Amino acid sequence: MGVTKEDVEAAITSALSPSNLVVTDTSGGCGASYEIEVVSEKFEGKRLLERHRMVNTALASHMAEIHAVSIKKALTPAQAQPQAQPEPAADKPQA
Amino acid sequence: MAASAPAVRPLARAAIPIPLSARPRTARVSLLPLAPLAPAQRLALGRTGQARLPARSRSVRCLAALSPEMRETLDKVVGSSKVLLFMKGTKDFPQCGFSHTVVQILRSLDVPFETLDVLANEALRQGLKEYSSWPTFPQLYIDGEFFGGCDITVEAYKSGELQETLEKAMCS
Repeated sequence: MGVTKEDVEAAITSALSPSNLVVTDTSGGCGASYEIEVVSEKFEGKRLLERHRMVNTALASHMAEIHAVSIKKALTPAQAQPQAQPEPAADKPQA
Repeated sequence: MAASAPAVRPLARAAIPIPLSARPRTARVSLLPLAPLAPAQRLALGRTGQARLPARSRSVRCLAALSPEMRETLDKVVGSSKVLLFMKGTKDFPQCGFSHTVVQILRSLDVPFETLDVLANEALRQGLKEYSSWPTFPQLYIDGEFFGGCDITVEAYKSGELQETLEKAMCS
């Protein structure tokens, strides 16, 4: 088959070393679709447009197989801290 | 939110005419004849003069090169309207959920805008991806500058930044 959720996670982890990453598979028949939430120090000093570009770049090799990518959050650790919610299931910190 | 169709759907017509705006003060957008793409030749610098990030070696997609002629044409196109949306379909007949979302946002803000259908022109579609350093559509341009895709437009709409940017553009 085509790109998987694990592929997306691996590509973003490799490029952005996120402190938090949530990839949700929202495919619904039109092809592979994902919603992405990323927390990374690499976003420091970057405005939103550049952050999305960084995520797009990380996924460039998979973009041909992905129907839709929706970047719901692209935050720095400082920005993510006050918004952190006590949802253990959604929180996947990576070493 | 950005969408990238794996296969280009065949169109019934070679070109879809752009519907004329009902608002007379809106600038007309003529779809200029686009120059044929030069052989693959990657530019070192993007439009803003910033170095592009190196392409991943295992990338399966070979982006069409953005020739100087194509860049000049796109400069003219994006400069011809205050608000221009490159989308899939037209504002009256969107062919993609994300393009539809942006059209609805712009309509709710009651701002005059033009649309160009990238499904009707493959060269335009490929050229724009390099022009904006953005791989998918819709792409919103305000006052000649790339503003963002669907996700960024939605977020800016919610924060009020979009309306502020549009008001500045309409007053300039």
